[in-house]
Amino acid sequence: MNIRQAIHQSISDCFIIWRQELTNIRRDIAVVLMFIGVPLLYPLLYGSIYNTETIRDVPLVVVDESHSALAREFVRRIGATAEVQIVAYAPSLRQARDVTDRKEAYGILQIPADFSAKIHRDEQAVVALYIDMSGLLFYKAILLATTEASLDMRRTIRVQPHDAPLATEAVALYNPHGGFASFLLPAILILVIQQSLLLGIGILAATTRERNRRRLIPVAMRHIYTRTFRIVFGKTMAYLALYTFVCFWTLVIVPYLFRIPQLTNYSTLLLFLLPYLLAATFFAMFLSTFIRGRETPMMLLVFTSLIFLFLSGVSWPLAAMPDAWRYIGYLIPSTFGIQGFVKINTMSAELWEVAFEYRNLWLQAGIYFTLTALMYYRELLKVKREELNVKRDA
Amino acid sequence: MTNTIFNIAARETGRLLKGRIYWFCIFLVPCISCLFFLTMMHEGLPTDLPIAVVDLDNTAASRNLSRQLNAFEGTQIVAQYNDFSQAQTEMQQGHIYGIFYIPRNFTQETVAGKRPVLSFYTNNTYLIAGSLLFKDMKTVATLATGAVVLQTGRARGQRDEQLIAAVQPIAIETHPVGNPWLNYSVYLSNIILLGILTLMIMCVTVYSIGIEVKEKTIGEWLPSGNASILPALAGKLIPQTILFFIAGIGIFFSLYIFMHFPVHHIVNMLGALLLFIVASQALGVFMIGCFPTLRLALSFACLFGMFAFSITGFTFPVDAMYPPLQALSHLFPLRHYFLIYVDQALNERSFACSLPHYAALLAFLAAPLITLHHLTWSLKNVPYKR
Repeated sequence: MNIRQAIHQSISDCFIIWRQELTNIRRDIAVVLMFIGVPLLYPLLYGSIYNTETIRDVPLVVVDESHSALAREFVRRIGATAEVQIVAYAPSLRQARDVTDRKEAYGILQIPADFSAKIHRDEQAVVALYIDMSGLLFYKAILLATTEASLDMRRTIRVQPHDAPLATEAVALYNPHGGFASFLLPAILILVIQQSLLLGIGILAATTRERNRRRLIPVAMRHIYTRTFRIVFGKTMAYLALYTFVCFWTLVIVPYLFRIPQLTNYSTLLLFLLPYLLAATFFAMFLSTFIRGRETPMMLLVFTSLIFLFLSGVSWPLAAMPDAWRYIGYLIPSTFGIQGFVKINTMSAELWEVAFEYRNLWLQAGIYFTLTALMYYRELLKVKREELNVKRDA
Repeated sequence: MTNTIFNIAARETGRLLKGRIYWFCIFLVPCISCLFFLTMMHEGLPTDLPIAVVDLDNTAASRNLSRQLNAFEGTQIVAQYNDFSQAQTEMQQGHIYGIFYIPRNFTQETVAGKRPVLSFYTNNTYLIAGSLLFKDMKTVATLATGAVVLQTGRARGQRDEQLIAAVQPIAIETHPVGNPWLNYSVYLSNIILLGILTLMIMCVTVYSIGIEVKEKTIGEWLPSGNASILPALAGKLIPQTILFFIAGIGIFFSLYIFMHFPVHHIVNMLGALLLFIVASQALGVFMIGCFPTLRLALSFACLFGMFAFSITGFTFPVDAMYPPLQALSHLFPLRHYFLIYVDQALNERSFACSLPHYAALLAFLAAPLITLHHLTWSLKNVPYKR
């Protein structure tokens, strides 16, 4: 066989393996569900959950022991904010607690009897705020509304020249309304890609094992599955072909549907996605070689989604993360994928600004490719040995 | 009947002990998760979040302001820049979460009464870090205002209390009920760990039933003829209930004894835990009853289990979701467990407050009955599809 024939042979093998892998995907409803169903449906589900972005009108109950015009003015100002709504007045703290026990309010504002008197004496009045801590967003909303109202009260109470010698201005960059979807959805979108690859490829590999005497090489097509690189390339092409569409849906259409800030040009995004997809695919292929049962990938891998989400440093800040976990996060493609995507997509970073993530994704792709190739090489060796044994026995 | 249940339970216990996958799902996953989340959020409230200062004023007073900000536990100034765009690039690359901007001639204009503007920028792409920094920078700005007012006011001979009242006439004393430290781990770990438990319970329930079809051992497990499969189901699931309860107690131990997270009515919480486990198992049986193939039922269990984390509303409140989603949230045991937890562990409310949610968890037991007939039929007649 000369070189031309050899090249021709390897390319044609690659394509046959590619087609075979696509057939395997199509024939297994669970794999179709993971590759198509999950990336299609999940972003929509999460998107609709978080789409309201912020909470409004958190119910608050007031215990007004002051019964003064100033107290009523203060309460009115709190109720006028977007964050909080006054739902009831209670005569005592005890009765206010009954309201919160019935979950009709998430906070109690107690205005003491000396409220008005103190203000008129030019002293600082102190009000008490009891906040339900079942959600930190309640706490934030109620605290923000009362703080704003209390500062506004300055104007009602007195206007003095030295009142505020300086002004402050708070600017929330990239996610101006502090919206929940804008914060969490980009991370979820990237994570869904890796996790669905992980599950789908895991099921595919385990199925091959179950059908072929615990080996990753299909017996019936043994003459095609002869070389490590052809097998790895052929399979990878199949996944990439499919995920081109998946990525277009999850990273372009979905953000558009839910009006998630997207401040990037698509060429940057595309350049960034290439190493991410490769790293995630090889990562999934490498892990899949360890899976034996066809049902086990789901049981073993699904819970990792939460862990990977936290490792990415989007919810729990990287600065507060123990070093050990930060370094473990470096092993997972989604860590850099999410970091980079958030910077590119939400903060309009250019590719050079995410060089750290970009380089590491290529590095991961290289390492996991090598590891995957080694695992397949080992499988091929084992198959060959088994074939020799069979021949000798015959 | 008790005899049948006992025999099947004995057989199931043997299978559970032998299967590595069961050990992994029932004990290892909760262990890994406890270790991960409790060490990850060990700080409780993130401290020393990196920020940058752009100080164009550069006077003793403005430097003092930066020092004050740095003294806050939550904030650490890691860089000084002379130009805003430099700081913004750093923010874009994720090295800093906030920028404190002091404009040129800040001190001079303050004294002259020209009301200069102090700006702080937070990166709300990282919502937790962003909102924490916002709080610290706001406080420093208030302190700065206070310092100037005190200085000028004293010169005019006014009392300190009077001046403080002028800056902030109404002080707010906050009582974050049940979590005075604003500890994020208290509010996240309590539910995430139980969410992982319910995910594993549903998976194991579905798997342990479906695997009998795959391994062709239905004959050993199910009674022949038309006898009800309920005793067989009970015998199969009770050993799992016990094991998961032990795992759940392990989680409780690490949360409430090891980490000292607040918990008031521990007995009520243990009751909720048990009901929560049984409810998850019931849903698992329902799922394998709905879908004839093991992998499909398992996929559904996973999707359902993952979705539970969001729709439970412990991060983003259910009240803020669209109404159909609010209704949907009732179908998740984790949602009811969360509401019981808020009442019983966090807010020290009476048992009666949470009664509807205990009842709801019990009601999940009816779910398998809907698909029981179909389950019996498919277990006996539908072979494992290869």
